[in-house]
Amino acid sequence: MRKKLFRNFKIFDGEKFIKADSLLVDDGKICEIKTGINCQDAEIIEGEGRILTPGFIDLHAHFRDPGEEWNEDIYSGARAGAAGGFTTMVAMPNTKPAISEPSLVEYVLTHSAKAKSSRILPSGCVSKNREGKEMSELLKMAEAGAVFFTDDGSPVATSDLLRLALQYTGKDQPRIMEHPEEKSLCIGGQVHEGRVSALSGLKGIPAASEEIDVARGIALTRETKGRIHFTHLSSKGALGLIRQAKKEGLDVTCDTTFHHLTLNENAVINSGYSSCYKVNPPLRSPEDQKALWDGISDGTIDAIVTDHAPWHIDKKDEPFQNAPFGIASLECAIAVLIDYKNKNYPKVSLELLFTKLTSSPAALLPVKWHKLGSIKKGSVADLTIIDLDRTRIVDCNTWKSKARCCPWEGIALTGWPVMTFAEGRKIWEDEEEL
Amino acid sequence: MNVMPSETGQIVWRHRNVIDLDNWTKEDLYFLLDQARHMENVMDRPIKKVPVLRGKMCVNLFFENSTRTRVSFELAEKMLSADVVNWSVTGSSFAKGETMRDTAWTLEAMGADIVVMRHGSVGAAQYLASKLKRAIVLNAGDGTHAHPTQALLDLYTAWKHLGDLNGKRIALVGDVLHSRVARSDVIAFKTIGCDVVLSGPPTMMPRDVEALGCRYEKDPRKAVEGADMVYLLRIQKERQQDGLFPSVDEYHKWWGADNKLMSYAKPDALVMHPGPINRGVEIASEIADGHQSVILEQVRSGVAIRMALLYLCGGGVR
Repeated sequence: MRKKLFRNFKIFDGEKFIKADSLLVDDGKICEIKTGINCQDAEIIEGEGRILTPGFIDLHAHFRDPGEEWNEDIYSGARAGAAGGFTTMVAMPNTKPAISEPSLVEYVLTHSAKAKSSRILPSGCVSKNREGKEMSELLKMAEAGAVFFTDDGSPVATSDLLRLALQYTGKDQPRIMEHPEEKSLCIGGQVHEGRVSALSGLKGIPAASEEIDVARGIALTRETKGRIHFTHLSSKGALGLIRQAKKEGLDVTCDTTFHHLTLNENAVINSGYSSCYKVNPPLRSPEDQKALWDGISDGTIDAIVTDHAPWHIDKKDEPFQNAPFGIASLECAIAVLIDYKNKNYPKVSLELLFTKLTSSPAALLPVKWHKLGSIKKGSVADLTIIDLDRTRIVDCNTWKSKARCCPWEGIALTGWPVMTFAEGRKIWEDEEEL
Repeated sequence: MNVMPSETGQIVWRHRNVIDLDNWTKEDLYFLLDQARHMENVMDRPIKKVPVLRGKMCVNLFFENSTRTRVSFELAEKMLSADVVNWSVTGSSFAKGETMRDTAWTLEAMGADIVVMRHGSVGAAQYLASKLKRAIVLNAGDGTHAHPTQALLDLYTAWKHLGDLNGKRIALVGDVLHSRVARSDVIAFKTIGCDVVLSGPPTMMPRDVEALGCRYEKDPRKAVEGADMVYLLRIQKERQQDGLFPSVDEYHKWWGADNKLMSYAKPDALVMHPGPINRGVEIASEIADGHQSVILEQVRSGVAIRMALLYLCGGGVR
């Protein structure tokens, strides 16, 4: 592959913007970073002052493959990620069958390699067949390439199983990713228990459900000296518990989603109960939403994830109560966040947000992947170009993803990824922009 | 859209579909009440028919059981000379997993002008309206969310008895949590200027009851105190199995309307209920059949108010 010279960029290295404005890529790796590189035989990519970041990392996405490929598959999902500026995504294991044995971990990796686009890393179920009873072959799955263990879609069913899994994985194996929910409080739940449930009569999913499970996870992490990652945090209370646990020095981390940062329950009400906004955990109160931004600023939240949950339009385009949970957002998430931040939190720095999408999530993956999410000499040339001035209207019909419903459909957003590279190879570019 | 003269001057009728009343003004409400009064006159004529919807096709699409709402709509449609189709859900493809999108397209292909729908899912009416290009939608109840025509007939009944409703007090007692009637009534009575108080077991109230914009009193005597209207909500006996209250008897003792509870309201306070009533649960027979009860008048108002709505919203469909 020809060398590539990226020049005249504002370069974000995974933590901060750096002075150097150019970098050279050879053989899929970054080999030089400085101002004014000269290289005769390299293909030149002109930055014109746009931003160059490490390819974004999404620790939580659903690709429905194997088993429900009409909703999404690894190929469409990988390309959707590329078109959204993500170069690494972690596939959740709640597929059919659930990824709870090494051969299925390999299945995801094989198909990801075949897609020749963004990298999809598998996660494995904590329990066999995701049934919440016995532990899966966690060590074998880790060896095969699983980067997290999770029963996502559900919490780990019993405290006993969670305790065993935390003990068994310890600090040398992939992290346990917990979907924090106390199920008995959520049966039949559709929306946040609060204003939206009061006005609609829909059964509420109380914030306490998340809080209770986070409290359980923290207590067990303390006792087992293990480590736990709570995913798609949505509530102020649960975030407070994690903040405290971190202060205590426990190995507890968490992420929240693009949609919980940028939407709240009022969006559900104002839409007249459109199924586009139906998601679990539900869009919560404006107060919870604000707390998430505080959590980003004070470091309680380690990563921002899509929880990309694609459904075929025939399934999702239904009245609210009949539709499945999930928001598909890979292809617009970055723009949604940049646009929202600029309008509502201008003082939050882009550097901070980008950190939560690059080096910070990379650090939660197994050691092998720690070099992702940073622009350093020798690191993998997964790169994304961002044009902060680009305005585009979200149009699901042009998506690589098979999902065709999203809360931002038809909305003009400013600040988009325009080109994505994986290991030095261009895997996507915004063709309209040319 | 229809432009209609009214006593308060010119008003533009701006509601194409009726999904909920949260976007209605006080003027819209009074204008409709006024129209309903004219429609009620039609009901008293020897020939109960006016030609305003002649040639229009109304489809009554009921995914949930209903007697009075469905019959009331059908009577209203027939008195306005519309062609009426009652689309039975059981035994049709609607029951066989057809998506609502396909249902909407099918209705439109058949040339429906007005679709009256009741559905068990919140937001279903809004959803249907978003898929229809030509036909209009009147919501006859969407899950626990809204039942706008019920609220309008309740207002009409109250208005006929009390006149100007500004500053009047209404107490709604019962299962607010699961009640679309309560949600729409709260909006309607508040918009028209009433003071609305809710009462019922705390397990049958939304946790954020203040989001509805009214006061909650656990003790129904406090809620009813000084009320001009007492509205009893139907208690579904299944709710007891859900564990929301321990027994029908206990419910009736605490929150049921009897002479004792009514003694706290104003002497001639109206007693209302959306029907069908559970005697001995939310309402004692002495109250249901007593002189203050306007429950049967509500049924009659339902026809008049639905005629007015069909006329205002449906008359302009091309």
